[in-house]
Amino acid sequence: MRVVIGEDLFLLRDGLVRLLEAHGFEIVAAVGTAPELLRALTELKPDVGIVDVRLPPSFTDDGLRVAIEARQACPGLPVLVLSQYVEQLYARELLADQAGGVGYLLKDRVFSDAAFVEAVRDVAAGGTVLDPEVVSRLMARRTRSGPLAALTPREREVLALMAEGRSNAAIAAKLFVTDKAVAKHTAAIFAKLDLAVSDDDNRRVLAVLAYLNS
Amino acid sequence: MSTSGDLWTAWRGRLRANWVALLLPLVAADTLGLFGGPFPVLLVIVTVALALLAPAESAKLAPFAAFGYAGYGLFLQHAVLMGESPQVTYGILKVGSADNAGWVLPQAAAFLVAGVWLLGLTGGPGGGAVRRAVAQLRGTDGQPKTVPALLLLPAIFLWEELFSEQLWFGWFAVGRVVALLLVIAAVAFVVALPRAAASLAVVGIGLLGLYGALVAGHRLLTSGVPIPTPVPPAPYTTWFYGAVPLNAGTSGLPAVVQGVALLGFAGLLVPRLVTWGADAELASRAQALAHRVDRLTQTRTGATEVAVAELRRIERDLHDGAQARLVAVGMSLRAAEQLMPTSPDAALALVAEARETSSRALADLRDLVRGIYPPVLADRGLADAVRALALDTPLEVTVEVDVPEEPPMPVAAAVYFGIAEAITNAVVHSGATTVLVHVAHAEDMLRAQVTDDGHGGADPSLGTGLAGVERRLAAFDGILAVSSPAGGPTIVVIEVPCVLSSAKTSSC
Repeated sequence: MRVVIGEDLFLLRDGLVRLLEAHGFEIVAAVGTAPELLRALTELKPDVGIVDVRLPPSFTDDGLRVAIEARQACPGLPVLVLSQYVEQLYARELLADQAGGVGYLLKDRVFSDAAFVEAVRDVAAGGTVLDPEVVSRLMARRTRSGPLAALTPREREVLALMAEGRSNAAIAAKLFVTDKAVAKHTAAIFAKLDLAVSDDDNRRVLAVLAYLNS
Repeated sequence: MSTSGDLWTAWRGRLRANWVALLLPLVAADTLGLFGGPFPVLLVIVTVALALLAPAESAKLAPFAAFGYAGYGLFLQHAVLMGESPQVTYGILKVGSADNAGWVLPQAAAFLVAGVWLLGLTGGPGGGAVRRAVAQLRGTDGQPKTVPALLLLPAIFLWEELFSEQLWFGWFAVGRVVALLLVIAAVAFVVALPRAAASLAVVGIGLLGLYGALVAGHRLLTSGVPIPTPVPPAPYTTWFYGAVPLNAGTSGLPAVVQGVALLGFAGLLVPRLVTWGADAELASRAQALAHRVDRLTQTRTGATEVAVAELRRIERDLHDGAQARLVAVGMSLRAAEQLMPTSPDAALALVAEARETSSRALADLRDLVRGIYPPVLADRGLADAVRALALDTPLEVTVEVDVPEEPPMPVAAAVYFGIAEAITNAVVHSGATTVLVHVAHAEDMLRAQVTDDGHGGADPSLGTGLAGVERRLAAFDGILAVSSPAGGPTIVVIEVPCVLSSAKTSSC
């Protein structure tokens, strides 16, 4: 699997390269600035790009903007955005194109390499992986109107885990229920959010987006 | 230890310092002839005792005695005009004598002026205004010299009218009262509006000069022709122009000379008016600057205190949070190091624990950074920072931002934290379900308004949060206002003067 890494801190970039290579990824480019990253993403079209939000030259949200721009140039280009902090605002912007293949994680998630590598693979496969911190802040919001208000507490729980990028099997294991029960919940969620029947992955992305926009 | 000699010296000193007090018995004594019976004598005794025993208090009373005495003069003048001849003395005059009839009013006016002067001297009620006017007249006490002594000139003319047999104001009884009222008004005018009085004085001198030059000049040219003025009422026979009598037989030349001299004088004073104007402007600017310096000193102290409190909080948070956790990480790793050869499993558990702890240290640092300068504010500016804030708020928050250009960072941060505090209060205290945040920039003013639909009744003086925000805003001349009637809604308004342009010449 071909990976492009955009990270300005050498130690972290080096660590990412070694971690991913150890798990059998092929690092086609590891760059430290936003313009280089944009070029690498659009020209090399990797299977997944791993992008730090804060990059030179302006050290603000250059990485995020590069990720969005690259996805405009190459729709659906899977991008996993890493940051020292997570914002619902940025998560919304990343997911706004509804194409899936988006991850948004705190940098510390790299500490547990198994989960991190799984997240990279999920994103590369077109899934949506949001950091549990984003999700927990979503949960804190009281929703009094909109389609989400119609969800039962259990369905909200399932939706939250869906937003973290977990598969139905993983959700079932986490909630100590059967796969079938989870499938029932997800179907109910899709119905309540008025998501037309299409492939499951896309509906999951749309459900998460609806969740973010609630 | 004080001896009787010391007491005597002290008492004499007090009396000398308050010599004005002696006016009281003097005035009282002059009413001796007015009333029969023992009353005036008693009054004299009381005032003497008062002046001797309580000189300071008596001195403060004295100006009002002078005013009263001036009023007494008016009363006597009125009696004379009514055809009575009261056989009393008024100051240095025997009022009953026909020769002295014209002198009562001037003396009354003299006491009026003396009263004003003493008021400033003794510091009685109203003395402050007099002293300020005097300071302006003299140009002392940091006040500009805006009023010349020449202002007294119109008063002298009035004075001269009071001395003369006839007035400009028609029938002499009414005229004298009008004249006296004018003197009183002039004194009040000078005290209250010295600069306007100065301008008017110059104009008045000019007009008097013009009057003389024209009227008397006309008379000079048509020598001997009487000036077309009303015939003075008996027993008066002569009209005066200033010091110059305008008898039918006299030449108009002195009047013309006086008129021209007055005109020239007024001409000399006109440039001074400009100087006084400039002085006044300088003075008002100096005053404005002084106010500004006061305000800056105050807000700088506030800003410094806010900054120090912030640093203390950051230090405490670091000390109790990230720093402590990193110490724990170090200790876990050290223990793992030692356990590695003997029990690798236990070492592994410790390493996992260290990793966990380092994650928590990072979380602590994230929270801290949010409180110092929120990342979205740094990345995107005020509008997106407020939107991100709204997304993280467990209420329905609507955000409307209408700011054409990003405000300078410190202003944006101050406004952001103000909005954050208002939203936090809405979440914690108000019982609101929705919040509206409106940020707009108009007429060089950045204005943010946070409205919630809660139950209101918030008391901004109770919380420290808004007070801190207020002090932080004050550093930019910004203000914070809270309206929270019982039953709601609660509205928090923040206003900061702020010019949005690439040229950073403003104070924001």
